[in-house]
Order: sequence, then C-alpha cells, then structure tokens
Amino acid sequence: MADKSNDPVALWQNMIGEMEKGFNAFANQAMASPEFSKVVNQVGGATAGAQKQLSELMEKYLLTMNLPSRAQMVGMAERLQSIEGQLNEIKSMLQQMQGSTAGTGSPATPRPPRTKRPPPAGGEQK
Amino acid sequence: MTASAPDPAGFDLASIPERIQSEVQRAIARSIKGVEYISTSGPSLGSTPKDILSARGTMNLYHYRPVADEIYRVPILIVMATTNRGYILDMVPGQSFIEFLLKRGYDVYMLDWTAPKPEEKRLRMEDYVLDFIPDCVRQVQRDSGESDVTVIGYCFGGVLSLLYGSIFADGPMKNLICFTTPVDFREMKLFQSFSDRRYFDVDHLVDSIGNVPPEMILSSFEMLRPASRAVSQVQLWENIWNDEFVKSYRMFDRWATDTLPLAGEYFRAITKDLMWDNKLYNDTMSVGGRKADIASIKVPILHAVAEHDHIVPYAAARPLIEKIGSADKEEVILKGGHVSLVAGPNAVRRLWPKLDSWLCERST
Repeated sequence: MADKSNDPVALWQNMIGEMEKGFNAFANQAMASPEFSKVVNQVGGATAGAQKQLSELMEKYLLTMNLPSRAQMVGMAERLQSIEGQLNEIKSMLQQMQGSTAGTGSPATPRPPRTKRPPPAGGEQK
Repeated sequence: MTASAPDPAGFDLASIPERIQSEVQRAIARSIKGVEYISTSGPSLGSTPKDILSARGTMNLYHYRPVADEIYRVPILIVMATTNRGYILDMVPGQSFIEFLLKRGYDVYMLDWTAPKPEEKRLRMEDYVLDFIPDCVRQVQRDSGESDVTVIGYCFGGVLSLLYGSIFADGPMKNLICFTTPVDFREMKLFQSFSDRRYFDVDHLVDSIGNVPPEMILSSFEMLRPASRAVSQVQLWENIWNDEFVKSYRMFDRWATDTLPLAGEYFRAITKDLMWDNKLYNDTMSVGGRKADIASIKVPILHAVAEHDHIVPYAAARPLIEKIGSADKEEVILKGGHVSLVAGPNAVRRLWPKLDSWLCERST
C-alpha cells in the first residue's frame, strides 16, 4: 500500500485542506475588525435603499407593461397554497369520517399504545 | 506481491503505474458522473410519512406517523430553527433523525417554518414564543391525548424553546433538549462584527426591505467560512465518481442553500435584544412584557454541542447549563460541526444514541 505521506493525490488534498483552513482563519481575523464591519454595513445600507427604490420602479414598469409583478405572483402562489391546504383538510376530514362510519368509533388512523418502557440497563433496543 | 524499493525521495516507484491507472479510471468516471450530476436531481428529502396538523402563515406543524407497535407516553415536539428547513432532521432513510426516533418508539411532531410572506414582516418575537409554540404544544397535547410534551430545539429553535420554557415554566414542557443553542451572543464573534451597532442600521434595513432576504442570511453563514464553498466544489469534482459522496454532498448542499428569509420585526428584535444587548445571558430578556429568565426552567435538560461548531461557538452555548434552573441537567460535547452534530453519519453514531438513552427513561 502506498505511503499516504508520499501520495501526490493525498498531498494535493491535504494542501487544499490546509489552504482552506488558512484562508478561513485569515478572513475571520479580517472580518472581526471594526473597519470591516463599517465598510460592509455602509455598502449593505446603500444596497438596501437602492433595492427598495429599484423594486418600486420595477413594480411601476411591470404595471405599465401589463405584466404580473413578483408580489402578484407570490399572492397567486399563496392562494394556491391555501387551496392545497384546504384540500388536505377536506381529505383528512373524509378519512376521519370514513374511519367513524366503519363502526369502530376509533380515530381514522389507529395509534399504537403509549405503554413503551425503556429497555433494561445494558439491554439492546429493537 | 513484488518487492519494490522506495526511491530516495520516499516514492514507491512500483505503485506509480497502478496509481496512474486508477486516476485515469477516476477521470473517466468523473466525466460520466459529471454529466449525470447536471442532468439529474438529488435524492428526495424529508420523505418520512407525516400529516399536517396545522399550517398558519410561516408556521407548519407536522405529525410523523408512528412506526413502532408501542410508543413512549410523552410525545416530542421539535422546534426547528427559523433560518432553515426542518428536513435536515429527515434527510433520507437511514440518515433521518425522525426515522430513528420513530423506530425507537417515540411519537414525533415538528414545528417547521416556511418563508414568511411579505405581509408577515410584522411578526415579532412574541408571535413565535407566545403564539406559535404554545399553539403547537396545545395541538400536540390534543392530538396525542397527553398533557406532557418533550421539546427539542435546534440552534435558534433552541433559543425559542428556552424563551418558551422560561415563560411557561409551570408546564406543560416535561423535558427540554437543545442542540447547539447560543445563550451568550457576545461570543458569536463574527455575527457580532456583522451586526456591530455602530455601523449596522437594523432599523433602516428592516424599514427598507421588510423581511430579511434569504440571500443575506446565506451569505452571512457563508462568510463565516469564506473559502469553504469553493473548496467543497473542488472536493465534489474530485469525488464525483463516488456515488455515496455525491449523494451526501447534494443533500447537505441543497439544505444549506435552502435558507429562509426572516420576518423583519423578528430580526430587529434578535439584533437588538440578543446581538446587541445580550439579554438572554444578562437575565434581562422579556417577550411581550413577560420576563424570560432561563433560571426559571426546572425540567430535565440535555444540551448537545459540537466541538467544531463555527456558527454557534462553544463559548456561546456553554452558559446554558450553568444558568438553567434544572437540577437534572447534562451537557454533552460531541465531535463534529453545527450540522454534522445532528445529521449525517457522525450523528447516527454519536448524538442519536446518546439522545435516545437520555430521553427514553424520561418519556414514560
């Protein structure tokens, strides 16, 4: 079996791993500085403002073009989701009704009894 | 077997042709599998059979169908972190925490989250702690017919569970299990730097964009280890011939990038109360005017933390056990990172059996 310390593939993988650790450590050190926080948050703050303006502009543009906006699409998706939810509820009600008309009087899905005890000390769980 | 003399540099010269042949075969396999990777979707995740008990906006309550013939009396409610999807705990058969619990005879419910909608930007910490969790606990009680409930919180789900448990200290929570739950937010050094109150205008951000977009959450996680994504791509290419590696990569990569947005007001409260004022650690936290002091929690607690957690460093999680009021309390430090603690082969071997042995005797 080839010695791992002399295996070029293992050496390459090790090098990549070390580079990753080194770069992460270096970046973490840089990111912990107040200067980093200042720059990132200045850029982030400006971006948030620009994003808001752009989305308002886009909304107006889509309205002019008679196209649905993202908000309207999200609204449609929500309505679909709500319809799906209601269908699930109806399905579950039907299952329950089916269970009770079967004459058992028990819930639609029988549940196992809540009588399980912990295995004895040192015993194997099944 | 032929004897081969190593050369002065230590290379086993006889093994070189064999190694070249193996690398060529892998290169061919990489090309074939690479095409497969692009043209196919990953494994189906979160497929353990379950029923939706309740879906209300961002909140979803699932009940997983029991598989054991006999189950423990006390049901479990898992509270997922609000930034990520719950299927991390239900990856694929054999690597699903949920499946493990069901097979061991637990009755499992999960409070999972979907992306809050634009109009849900006003959801506050109060909505999560005083409404969603108590509502789910009530539904678990009703559905199971049991008054006691064990709560398991993962990451920020653990923080929400602690807040809930502090405020509703008289019950019905019977046991509490937290995975990698931060308490001392000063120790989350990089998140502290990202949200430095001198430069981070959280009011401007929330007032401008409403819900905090998932891209921003994802990049803040990725910035903790900025080289790791590029390296993982290299590792994927190197191992693309290995089906098991690719399957695991796809599962975890899909989950890690499937980040949820955060409701604006809720994010504002997290930033101000926890990141800036560290109120949970300083015992000054309150939610909706109700004091949330973790010393008031008296139920048995297990806190599992990861040795190499880059998201919630151990220093941030350590004070939980010191501060909690329970007499029956245990912290377990396991090898692994923030995610490998709860999912994947390490979790199967380490965390899950530990949790079962702790919880089984407290679930009757």
